[in-house]
Amino acid sequence: MISNLITHPSIALIAGAILIYIFKGRGNYISLISLLISFIILIVFTGQKDLIFATTKISIHYFSYSNLSFLFCLVFLLIGIIGKVFSIYNNNDNEKALILIYIASSIAVIFSGDFLTLYVFWEIMAITSTFVIWSSDSIHSGKAGQRYLIMHLFGGLMLLFGIIGLYLDTNNLAIRIINLESWYSCLILTGLLLNAGAPPFSQWISDAYPEGSYSSTVFLSAYTTKTSVFVLIMTFAGNYILILLGVYMIMYGIIYALLENDIRRILSYSIVNQVGFMIVGIGIGTELSINGTAAHAFSHIIYKGLLLMSAGSVIYMTGKRKCSDVGGLYKTMPITAACGIIGALSISAFPLTSGFISKSMIIDASYHQNLEIIWLLLLVGSAGVFLHAGIKFPWFVFFHKDQQIDTEDPPIFMKGSMIVASAICIILGMMPSLLYEILPYKVNYIPYTGNHVVSQLHLLLFSALAFFISVKYLKRTQTITLDIDWFYRNKLEYIDKAYNYISKSLFNYVEKINLGVLRNKFGVFEGFLLKQITISNMLTLILITLFIFLALNI
Amino acid sequence: MKTRKNIIYVLFVFVNITPYLYSFYDFQKIHFGIDNIIGFYPIYGFLACMGLIIIAKTFSIIFKKDDTYYD
Repeated sequence: MISNLITHPSIALIAGAILIYIFKGRGNYISLISLLISFIILIVFTGQKDLIFATTKISIHYFSYSNLSFLFCLVFLLIGIIGKVFSIYNNNDNEKALILIYIASSIAVIFSGDFLTLYVFWEIMAITSTFVIWSSDSIHSGKAGQRYLIMHLFGGLMLLFGIIGLYLDTNNLAIRIINLESWYSCLILTGLLLNAGAPPFSQWISDAYPEGSYSSTVFLSAYTTKTSVFVLIMTFAGNYILILLGVYMIMYGIIYALLENDIRRILSYSIVNQVGFMIVGIGIGTELSINGTAAHAFSHIIYKGLLLMSAGSVIYMTGKRKCSDVGGLYKTMPITAACGIIGALSISAFPLTSGFISKSMIIDASYHQNLEIIWLLLLVGSAGVFLHAGIKFPWFVFFHKDQQIDTEDPPIFMKGSMIVASAICIILGMMPSLLYEILPYKVNYIPYTGNHVVSQLHLLLFSALAFFISVKYLKRTQTITLDIDWFYRNKLEYIDKAYNYISKSLFNYVEKINLGVLRNKFGVFEGFLLKQITISNMLTLILITLFIFLALNI
Repeated sequence: MKTRKNIIYVLFVFVNITPYLYSFYDFQKIHFGIDNIIGFYPIYGFLACMGLIIIAKTFSIIFKKDDTYYD
């Protein structure tokens, strides 16, 4: 069993996280080496085998290999390595170790073969990601992390109840396609969708992720939502309701991003938007759409990482995080600007970039299923992505009004990791077969047809025209847009007040009962218990108790 | 002023490129019939974006608050 366990890609990462705490100050080396070892384990040792830890009562299926899990693990490790190189100048060892556990738990989720293993690592993922947010020095990170944690614990609870229901009903915890007919499957779906940022819980992404440090946002954006996408593919593929939720997410992301001022918050809204495309793909549920979803998740993780790295570079070098404070940075940060633009073109699915070869599979899948309205809405979504992330982000950050900020491109490792991510985006766009070969189903899809390229270029270029015509209406202001979180943000004080009121009234009630008599009676006994006993005596007592337990074999 | 200049430049490039792109287009390989109309994608893309911007602006009338709202 131990030798089998070593072939799990998460183990190297967990070992790395422990070593970071032991050898302080060497976080960069340890995390990079453990990520590389994990990568090698995935490529070389991890094969087509399932590891099951079985007891008489329940079998834990902690490693279940499939083409899809290989694809997700590959991209998780890839962005892990790129992100690690990017965050090399961040001296927070705590954050580095937590990120390794976060990556390890998300990999463990995608390799888990039953719901129990999934649930355990799902919760570890939620907790470590909260600590990653908390380890940032942003002033709002504390409260944002709190809201993030509450939200995810709530989702985890839904998932747990769902899993219990599933076990009671079917006596089988294996991860499989579940029909959306029973109450527990609805609970499982709610729990999974909460992590994907589906309505009405979409706001946690834009609330929490931008509060991470300049480098940790790269990791945060990649794992939680995409793990959820993976599990949704495995459990709820082909449910029509997912198509509707996905379309809502696409539109939500665009509209909120158009009104947003914070650079990383714009990109967070575009995560919701892009995950929306994936959810639509899962909802369609055909081989083409599942392939499209997997491919889109792969390319999305890379270009979103790239966009957040370029945003992170701007924040690292200038210390400014709002569109209204920056502008004209293409002169002083040319490489960051070029990489940011490549990321922006990829997210907009511009031909010759990775987004083009993946998103079009989902859109074409809707056509093959004769979903005309959905197809038209997805086209609106594609145009809208170019509007809010493809042009708005680079335009307001790198061009627009020159704010005369005296700065330069970030240090070499940060530049290097951005260039590598840009190269992956372009290579995948130019050679789609590289990605298509590792997709779960066989691919007969050709992205570069005359019709497709022409229609996409038309759609995107005229979206750009719409943006430039209305650019003065989109001018950035120092504002935020209210969301569902209005219902509970800043309302925590009311909960505090209610708690104080209840405890005070309870206390008064207890005071009325005269406990004096009882207190006197127990006085002698209390005195004996409070006597100072030395530690050695205490330890002896514990040992004797343990020995008695052992001897009696209780 | 600079923005305006950019718009004119972008418009100029688009108007020039657009018709030539259709020489690569195969009207036999259409999706739902609606995209067989010449100019469907440009017009649809443009109108969709204008629509989204209008919706966003309308939305912002009610829901836009100062960024110190929660502090």
